[in-house]
Amino acid sequence: MKSNKVMIVEDEALVAMMVEDMLGDLGCEIAGSFGAVDDALAWLGSGEPAPDGAVLDVNIGGEMVFPVAEELRERGVPFVFATGYGDLPRKGFESVEVIAKPINVGALRKAVDGFQSGEE
Amino acid sequence: MLDLASRDDVTTPETDLLTLIETIEALSATRPIGEVAEVVRKAARRISGADGVAFVLRDNDKCWYFDEDAIGPLWKGKRFPLTACISGWAMLNRQTVIIPDIYLDDRIPHDAYRPTFVKSLVMTPVRLEDPVAAIGAYWAEEHVPAPEIVKKLQVIARATASALESGRLHDSLVDANHHGAFLLQELDHRVKNTLAIVQSISRQTLRATPSPEAFAEVFENRILALSQAHELLTRRAWGRAQFHEILDKALAPFSANLADRFDIIGPAVTFSAETSVSVHMTLHELAVNAAKHGALSGPEGRVVLRWTVDEAAAPPMLTLTWREVGGPEVTGPPERRGFGTQMIERGLARDLGGKASLDFTPRGVIYTLRAPLSQRMSLAA
Repeated sequence: MKSNKVMIVEDEALVAMMVEDMLGDLGCEIAGSFGAVDDALAWLGSGEPAPDGAVLDVNIGGEMVFPVAEELRERGVPFVFATGYGDLPRKGFESVEVIAKPINVGALRKAVDGFQSGEE
Repeated sequence: MLDLASRDDVTTPETDLLTLIETIEALSATRPIGEVAEVVRKAARRISGADGVAFVLRDNDKCWYFDEDAIGPLWKGKRFPLTACISGWAMLNRQTVIIPDIYLDDRIPHDAYRPTFVKSLVMTPVRLEDPVAAIGAYWAEEHVPAPEIVKKLQVIARATASALESGRLHDSLVDANHHGAFLLQELDHRVKNTLAIVQSISRQTLRATPSPEAFAEVFENRILALSQAHELLTRRAWGRAQFHEILDKALAPFSANLADRFDIIGPAVTFSAETSVSVHMTLHELAVNAAKHGALSGPEGRVVLRWTVDEAAAPPMLTLTWREVGGPEVTGPPERRGFGTQMIERGLARDLGGKASLDFTPRGVIYTLRAPLSQRMSLAA
């Protein structure tokens, strides 16, 4: 199996811990797990190898995650949103898959499979 | 809207009455302020037979000449202090004022009138009990209007008051409606987020407990802690929570009287709604561990909880320590790092962009958190 290092941006620590745990069960490694948009951007800009995929919460402590999404898109890293907002406007990211919260492990598995086949 | 201007200019008592009735009808169906002004200025001018009419709104301590209909320019768009113009006088004194010659009346700011045609006026406030506007009628000649003309202007003023009030009610209803829809959406989001937290707790508790009985106890206590964290949030309307309040709530299950087991010393700090849940859960896990294996497991032990803020640092840094003393000797870290330990080591530090450590010294557990102040954690004002 291809290596699968996944990045997580999620402001709720408890939810982040669960996503990490679920991804671990799915055979992924955690490339990095961030609770703030700035931290995630700083890590992406630090010269670390790009992750193979990312799971992004949309509203990060009142800040929108879109700058991170844009950076990932620029680098060709596939990602999904995980959010409790039913119909949050996602300017420019209408085609990105959205995983609802609470998180269904099956939906997360599909997303991870998507990362491996190189789809966004 | 009725077109008052197009009608024949000859007024008789009958046509006046009709105009008045039509004006009241028009005002009762009008809400936006611009349209109210439009109806008022035309109707007031027609009914008074004046050379000009101004519709003045009260804007805090100013009179705002909002609209006019006159043979020459008046003061449309200008604002004057309430105390320095006659519309202000009428509103402040809650009475209609009739001035046959403005240059003989020192309530009038003569300089403001000199560029205009005005020689005499009637000014009547809108909503007598607490005026919000005024209607002025102006003549180019010295003039004393007939009492029934003044009465009719006052009737228009009353209809205007109703129109403004219904406009205000309408606006607040629309606002309330939008606000309600927004709140429902926000509630949906928060419920789902909270369910995701419950999902996380259940999943990770299950993973770390050996039996269904043990699961039930630990899980229920965590859900209770989460529920108390939310109770505090609701009480604060999802605003900021005081650290001391969170401490009281989170530690209450572990000591009937906090001071018996805890030494709590630190400046007043507040947390954002989201972060206060992590604070609460971290304190819960620390206290559970202390009650199970640490200082709170015997009768003698205590927890010393201290925090300081270094305001000279940029950004200011908080350092917090939870130090257990007087408990049984600690032989080392637990064999497996369960959910509770993970929450303690990572949860809050992650939320705050800081670092936390959990040290198992022989004398007792020491938890240290260092994190910068931010919107999520700040010194209380």
